[in-house]
Amino acid sequence: MELSPGAGLAMNTKKGIPLLEVQGLKKHFFPQMKFLEEQAPPVRAVDGISFTLQAGETLGLVGESGCGKSTAARTLLRLIEPTSGQVNFCGTNLFDLKETALRSLRREMQIIFQDPYSSVNPARRIGHILQEPFEIHGCRDKKENAEKATQLLERVGLTSGHFNRYPHELSGGQLQRVGIARAIALNPKLVVADEPVSALDVSIQAQIINLLLDLKEKLDISYLFISHDMGVVEYFCDRVAVMYLGKIVEIAHSEQIYNSPMHPYTTALLNAIPSFEPGRIKQKTSIRGDIPDPAILQRGCAFHSRCPIKEKKCEDDIPALEEITPGHHVACFFK
Amino acid sequence: MSEPELDIQNLKISFSTPRGKLTAVNGISFQLNQGEALALVGESGCGKTVSALSILRLLPEPPAEISSGKILFSGQNLLSLNAKTLQDLRGRSIAMVFQDPMTSLNPVLTIGEQMAETLLRHTTMTRQEALQKSADLLSRVDLPSPKEKLKQYPHQLSGGMRQRVMIAMALTCSPRILIADEPTTALDVLIQAQILELLESLKKETGMSMLIITHDLGVVAEIAQRVLIMYAGEIVESGPAHALLDNPLHPYTRGLIASVPKLGALKKKGARLEEIPGTVPSLDQRPSGCAFHPRCAWAIEKCKTQKPQLREAEGERQWSCHLEPGSL
Repeated sequence: MELSPGAGLAMNTKKGIPLLEVQGLKKHFFPQMKFLEEQAPPVRAVDGISFTLQAGETLGLVGESGCGKSTAARTLLRLIEPTSGQVNFCGTNLFDLKETALRSLRREMQIIFQDPYSSVNPARRIGHILQEPFEIHGCRDKKENAEKATQLLERVGLTSGHFNRYPHELSGGQLQRVGIARAIALNPKLVVADEPVSALDVSIQAQIINLLLDLKEKLDISYLFISHDMGVVEYFCDRVAVMYLGKIVEIAHSEQIYNSPMHPYTTALLNAIPSFEPGRIKQKTSIRGDIPDPAILQRGCAFHSRCPIKEKKCEDDIPALEEITPGHHVACFFK
Repeated sequence: MSEPELDIQNLKISFSTPRGKLTAVNGISFQLNQGEALALVGESGCGKTVSALSILRLLPEPPAEISSGKILFSGQNLLSLNAKTLQDLRGRSIAMVFQDPMTSLNPVLTIGEQMAETLLRHTTMTRQEALQKSADLLSRVDLPSPKEKLKQYPHQLSGGMRQRVMIAMALTCSPRILIADEPTTALDVLIQAQILELLESLKKETGMSMLIITHDLGVVAEIAQRVLIMYAGEIVESGPAHALLDNPLHPYTRGLIASVPKLGALKKKGARLEEIPGTVPSLDQRPSGCAFHPRCAWAIEKCKTQKPQLREAEGERQWSCHLEPGSL
């Protein structure tokens, strides 16, 4: 028996509406106020990002740690409340929804976390973890839920033998498969994968990426794929958005990003990847220093403190994200 | 060829656990030559970190036990030294950089206090001289405003800066060998590139030898001259870095290389990455014969029962596999 269709399913049939549309999303964290002190400036973790994700598409969100990519993912799923902005999922603004409506829409959008060990309850058996989504979304038939959980295990390459195991008995790769099974349990349209392979060994990474690709084909899932690994992203994504200090600095199709990057930050990221291709030409990194503290409000372009091609203008004005060639948006004065 | 800086012979390390005695490193031998950067590569649990820690005798013994083997450093076996002599060696002749710069610095001491400690222990410098030397070292690893950094605490620095401090600390006594355990794994790619360039230039400047432990083949290509590939506590392949990466002999090495998405080798849509099936065996369930055979696509009957010996191949290469070269 299928679950009764939620609010999201009906809306999905509308043609021409992107699966996910993010407009000016902001998430600022305000430090705790101290007695008799003025409010410190907020940490602008996500500072006005906009993008769309079409059904069936995979969008990569890349950037260094602290650039706000995970916060963006959590905010747009409304796992944390936004500061401002709008997120339309199949045409519905998530931030307008009441708790119950949001909950029924949640079956359409799921998340896979980075660390498989800390994202499952260590005291619950694998079978129980996988039955929970069905219970929460109104299917109380224990036998049926157990059956579905077993099917899920097989779908992600585990066996029914794992049903009664505890998380600590599984390896990292196996447990990440459980995390994936839990995310696809309710046939979601959108899966946000937050660094799903970076905690895993190299040989296991390839297994998990292949599994995610298989599921995309079989279940018609769209992914928002968050990663710091440019190699994995090129392999996996149709389009890529590069984030720096809470802003998107470049967004384009994979081929455009990898063959003709326009933002100096994207170029630096690509040059920094150690590669072991025969006959490669290695360029020295031109970027010095660390990502600035997002709590300190910078004037001008967020990247100017590390940029190799900056000029006076970059310190004063903020470049807007503009479409340079079809589908290729860049926020830089020198494109 | 001059004598190797470090000569490890048939090193065996085991741990006593409630599940019995588990062998983490099962008789490995290798040499680290003078001025060479040698990479020790493998997945988690293959014994690479344990091997490195054993060189400086940093493993807690018990539960660890170095059951056999020799670690020769300038003619003396490090395994037979007493605690006092070992302490004179650590940080002075052989220094180590750890993976996680967040947890390997003391959070309640300033950077200056921690750096001076090594110098005060190993040299006759005064406190003032030691601090001055520390500041020099910090500027050598490209840390801006070193004098101020000496007064700061680890939490005031970013991950990349802390790793630079760790490297500067390791360099305080101009060691002959630097052991770096996943020196860039906890860092972002831009910072990783900076740290790798730094290590490279320091090696050129000082002529020290480096043993780099990593799971990242990109890092290997970037910095190492020679590579050892470990699997389940044994070395399965070794050789010059570029020859090994271009033309791997062992099925495991080949699988490791194939499972990394290559930049620019633009995928055909829907193409799959080559994967190594299964997982690394746990220490108490080591497969019979060749430890890799349950995951190996080329395994033959012989692999299940007979353990392959390390064989020599052309170009100073070694590998342990029953297959004939060129059959991959």
